[in-house]
Amino acid sequence: MTMIIDYNLLLQGITEAIVILDVEGYVTYSTPAVTAITGYNPDQLLNKHVTVFYRTSADQVKAEYELDLALKKGKLLSEGWRFKKDGTQFWAEMYISPIFDEERKLLGYSCIIRDVSQQKNIEIELRQNEERFRLMVEAVRDYAIFMLDETGHIVSWNEGAQKIKGYSRDEIIGKHFSTFYTSEDLQNKKPENELKIAIATGKYEEEGWRVRKNGSVFWASVVITVLFNEQNKHIGFSKVTRDLTEKKANEENLRQSEERYRSLVEQVTDYGIFMLDEKGRIISWNEGAKKIKGYTESEIIGKYFSIFYPEEDILNGKPAYELKIAKAEGKYEEEGWRLRKDGSLFWANVVITSVYNSNGVHIGFSKVTRDLTERKESEKALHESYERYRIIAGELRVTNTELSHANQELEQFTSIVSHDLQEPIRSIKSFLQLINIKLSNEQNEDLKMYIEKAIKSADRMKQLIQNLLHYSQLGKTELVEETINVDDLINEAIQNVRTSAEKSNAQITVENDVKTVEGDRVQLVQLIQNLLSNALKFTDLKSPKIKIGGFHEDGHVIFSVSDNGIGIAEADLNKVFEIFRRLHTKKTYPGTGIGLAICKKIVDRHGGRIWPESKPGKGTTFYFTLNEEKEKLYQV
Amino acid sequence: MKKYKIVLVENDEDEQVFMKEGFDAAGLFEIVAQVRNGDTLFEWLNENKNSLPDLILSDLNMPGKNGYDVIHEVKTSPIYMHIPVVITSTSSTRTIIEKCIASGAADYIVKPETFVEYVPYVQNLYRRIEEKQLVK
Repeated sequence: MTMIIDYNLLLQGITEAIVILDVEGYVTYSTPAVTAITGYNPDQLLNKHVTVFYRTSADQVKAEYELDLALKKGKLLSEGWRFKKDGTQFWAEMYISPIFDEERKLLGYSCIIRDVSQQKNIEIELRQNEERFRLMVEAVRDYAIFMLDETGHIVSWNEGAQKIKGYSRDEIIGKHFSTFYTSEDLQNKKPENELKIAIATGKYEEEGWRVRKNGSVFWASVVITVLFNEQNKHIGFSKVTRDLTEKKANEENLRQSEERYRSLVEQVTDYGIFMLDEKGRIISWNEGAKKIKGYTESEIIGKYFSIFYPEEDILNGKPAYELKIAKAEGKYEEEGWRLRKDGSLFWANVVITSVYNSNGVHIGFSKVTRDLTERKESEKALHESYERYRIIAGELRVTNTELSHANQELEQFTSIVSHDLQEPIRSIKSFLQLINIKLSNEQNEDLKMYIEKAIKSADRMKQLIQNLLHYSQLGKTELVEETINVDDLINEAIQNVRTSAEKSNAQITVENDVKTVEGDRVQLVQLIQNLLSNALKFTDLKSPKIKIGGFHEDGHVIFSVSDNGIGIAEADLNKVFEIFRRLHTKKTYPGTGIGLAICKKIVDRHGGRIWPESKPGKGTTFYFTLNEEKEKLYQV
Repeated sequence: MKKYKIVLVENDEDEQVFMKEGFDAAGLFEIVAQVRNGDTLFEWLNENKNSLPDLILSDLNMPGKNGYDVIHEVKTSPIYMHIPVVITSTSSTRTIIEKCIASGAADYIVKPETFVEYVPYVQNLYRRIEEKQLVK
């Protein structure tokens, strides 16, 4: 009895549900644990067929097959989704064993049911994870990711591997990974060595040439990782390969481009181009820098760039200031004096640019220096030549003015020759022709008169030519500059006109405050003499009065010659100095019209002005100044 | 054939005589006055406003008001400006001729070689006046 109680207790305590089935599969007994697992209590299950736990009654076939199988094999483990009373499913492990009596007659089946849903779910999740990883790995296109077994044969293959190496999964699975190596690598047993290193260190990594299915090579980045299972048993390798051909090409391009720029910069000779580190130490040097500053690369690398600055700049902290500005504003630019190795100075154009790496970190400065000494010198030369040209232009302007004057005089001369000189010739010729006609006709009357008229014309012509020569000589001979006593000058002029003055019974007075003047004695005597002659000529009076004055006004000297003669009409005042201009016919007031023109020329040559003031019928005063231009020059 | 009324302006007395002879012999002009320079010309014109000449023939180089003065004064006078001024001179210099024409002279005729050749000169003057229709 105690034994029975013991069994009963045992059965009651087991967490697995134990269900006894009859030969047909109907429940005859179940332990209380069945309720916890299936939701049915033992009474409810009694006489129910075992398929009560299956999804459909159609599963009865399966249930009967399982019971048969259990009978044949002595035991059966059936795994699968079973259903609780409330319809929810659980993953069940059912151990089915036939029960016999002593005569080996089948009494029914024992069925132990375990709910292993939890384990099953973990397993499913694990499998799903693995599946995800597998899919992920397989889908990666940029990396060839595949597995090798412990001897190096390929056991998995992904999309990327197919793309990079060109083999399909079916072609490559089971092949040895050395297929991807060049014959040279194979001779060197590189594949084997890589695996050895991987096993020894856990991983092998390199970049190198690998071979595609089509025989072409590519630059590969390879990582081989050793794989161990949970028992730490070596089960193979993972191999990740990346095609770097493109990167390699880019690197090569970059390298070549850098090389090109470097050699370009190094070979530039007109600009000193070099790099400074962030502290201002020189870290590169080019030909131009060598040429301009005189240092070789080995001499200068590592030195502070302040070596190029004159002492004063260094004392003022200029180099550091320039770097500060360059860093703050990106760039510093100036022109200034810099030192060469030999201590000589040159005028430099300097640009310091702050340099950053691709991550935006300040790594130093570039400095471009240009020697402008030559430019400066050419600027100076240009300036000097400009100055020279300016002076020449000034001289040319003066010459031009002189030429213009000369041209004017030439035109005047043309006019003189074509009119004044031709007129007497024409008269002479006319009278000679008349005489000729008369003689041909044997007419003798008027002949003497014609001859006298011709002689008169010839005299006039001689006078004109002499005056003209005199006038033109005035412009050509150099002035004899001397200091002249003015009283002497006036007296000499009066002396020269004495005869005609006495003849016209003229009274000449002098009121002079001026002691001396600078000028040409002969010309100044002529000037005063001509003015006196003029005054003596243009008068109708029995005793003309002429006054000569000299006084100081506004800082210069003014002379005057006044008469009480016929005067000059206002409209004619500006005509009196024109050469050969006569305001009166020669019968009334004879003359050649050259006297005042000579006066004007003399005054011009002495840097003065001459002008008349007149009241018709009352008299005329001629004023003149001397050396006004010279005085102006002295004042300047 | 129309006879133009002309005033002769000439300072040289001898030339005046031969000029008159030439003009009379040609019979193409009626000399209404002979004056010795610009000053006397304007005095005469002023006194004869009711019988102004068709034409003034003036020497260029004269004491007092010269040929240029004559052109200027005639051309700026509302009363005389319609009278053509022909300049006559010994000079055949182009610049001088141009200067006279630019100043307003109706024409410029070079004086004959000698005083005795005034008849063809006068005929030439008449032809030019007709051709250029100088007298309106």
